Amino acid sequence: MIQVQGLSKSFGKVKAVQDVSFSAPDGQITGLLGPNGAGKSTTLRMLYTLLKPESGSAQIDGFDVRQSPLEVQSRIGVLADARGLYSRLTSRENIRYFGRLHGLSGEALENKINSLIVLLDMQSIADRKTEGFSTGEKLKVAIARTLVHDPQNVLLDEPTNGLDVMSTRAMRQFILRLREEGKCVLFTSHIMQEVAALCDQIVIISQGTVTANGSPDDLRKQTGKENLEDAFVAVIGSEEGLV
Amino acid sequence: MKKILVIFQKEILDNMRDYRSWVTGVFWALFGPLLLGGMIMLLGNSIRENVDEALVLPVSGAENAPNLIAFLEQQDVVIKPAPADPESAVIAGDINVALIIPSDYGENFSAGETAKVQLVFDSTRQSAMVDINRAQNLLEGYSKYIGLLRLSLRGVSPEVMQVVQIEEVDTATPQSQALIFLSMLPYFIIFAIFNGASPVITDATAGERERGSLEPLLINPLPRGWVAIGKMISAVPFATFNLIITLAGFATIFRILPMEELLGVQVGFSIGALTSVFLICLPIVFLACAIQTLIASFAKTTKEAGTYLPFIGLIPSLPGLALAFLPVKPELWTMLIPTFGQQILINQFLRSEPILAVNIIVSAVLTILLSIIVTYVAIKLYEGERIITGR
Repeated sequence: MIQVQGLSKSFGKVKAVQDVSFSAPDGQITGLLGPNGAGKSTTLRMLYTLLKPESGSAQIDGFDVRQSPLEVQSRIGVLADARGLYSRLTSRENIRYFGRLHGLSGEALENKINSLIVLLDMQSIADRKTEGFSTGEKLKVAIARTLVHDPQNVLLDEPTNGLDVMSTRAMRQFILRLREEGKCVLFTSHIMQEVAALCDQIVIISQGTVTANGSPDDLRKQTGKENLEDAFVAVIGSEEGLV
Repeated sequence: MKKILVIFQKEILDNMRDYRSWVTGVFWALFGPLLLGGMIMLLGNSIRENVDEALVLPVSGAENAPNLIAFLEQQDVVIKPAPADPESAVIAGDINVALIIPSDYGENFSAGETAKVQLVFDSTRQSAMVDINRAQNLLEGYSKYIGLLRLSLRGVSPEVMQVVQIEEVDTATPQSQALIFLSMLPYFIIFAIFNGASPVITDATAGERERGSLEPLLINPLPRGWVAIGKMISAVPFATFNLIITLAGFATIFRILPMEELLGVQVGFSIGALTSVFLICLPIVFLACAIQTLIASFAKTTKEAGTYLPFIGLIPSLPGLALAFLPVKPELWTMLIPTFGQQILINQFLRSEPILAVNIIVSAVLTILLSIIVTYVAIKLYEGERIITGR
């Protein structure tokens, strides 16, 4: 469960995020949609405690990101845009490192790693150094690392960026599975079709502010457009940034 | 706190696998002993050869002064004709020294006037100094000898000429002459410590940012300061390893090289002295890791960090280089300057001078204190947003 109220952040004179509010309930997929540079990643970075909000607040499972960052961090799994694997460590060692940083250890950790390796079908690469992995292989390791502590809230920053068709499909299936497990899933994207196919709720951000918020049907009704893409253009007021 | 250990263990594993980096670090640790050993061997050899061999003196116009030549030959000097242009031969380094006897020498000599000769040499050429000094001494000896003879002939006591007699009491033992070389030793030791830590730190800080793995790492539930501390102390074993390699290298060099033959002195670098120098240097290990962690965390890329760190290692080792030429007394204030105090203490150990316990303690405490302050600044840097945004 993620709640955001009036979140703002600026870098120098640039107001990256202004007064952003929304909530992402458990068991639903919430998509942050917006053109490039709209403030999606900055919003996400404040949610996962990397940046401090200037004003407003955000709670993850009731814990404030500013007041209790450690509680927040142990309740979220984040797949950042940069995968950032350690190339001299094997897949298993990469996953284990983050597991241990979450306070897991011993047999419980090893069992969890093994089940993730089976789940993501990565047995063949589990004990290879991640140097030279394909984008899809790296993504699998990064996902396993994100979920090693079984977080209730999963934040994904542009999860399908740079993936081929098969990997994109696998990624979508995976996001849907998380919803089935009752997780709160929040992801950013600038790809209309992806958001339309997956999301229960869409938050459209443009120039740092929320311009629309609701289910795909709500958005179509609000704008009077049949097509979600047209609705999106109507909401942000231009075709800028659409891919 | 256990999570600091997790960071530490991961960085050790990661960096051990990056063997090219730490092998390069070890090379720096051996650089000092090899360079110093080479210098001692070269200089030792040139001193020894010059003393043993007869002085070869190229002379131009030898026929103008048969008496002087006979005197030189009596002193085991091998006289040979000088090249046509003695000055350019000296400049080119073909000969160390040349004697030019002008044609009016005989005339002036017979008339009892001051007869001039020219000695051509290059006073900046260290390897020629022995030959130059011997030639000068022989000529002055001859001049004095003839002068005394002339005074005696006129019935004047030779003592008239000797108003003051100088008795030289040189307190420099042969060992302390050799120690001019050894004064450079602290410089190499500190250099090795910094170079042992820098590849690990560069990879763990600037490298982490460059790979994009810093963001995912910092999202894990642990205080960011612990991340900084874990990274800092992961470089400590590598720096300590380099320190041990360097000290072992110096000990080996002093054992293998026939120091007594080369420099005429015995250099003691016993296990006891080695251990003491190791313990004195240990606080520098922490300082090297702390300072480099801080600096490298500011750098956006490993390349940028690579341009800063060599300077950081150079600054604290520079006073040590100066110590080779400007001796400083081991007063308390010198111990207040981290790394400088240790360099003086190492020098004292090598000279087997008595060492005050208070000096050791003060230098160690001050160095560790500075390390803690620097670590604190690094922690603050990690807690801020600059580490993420790079702004």
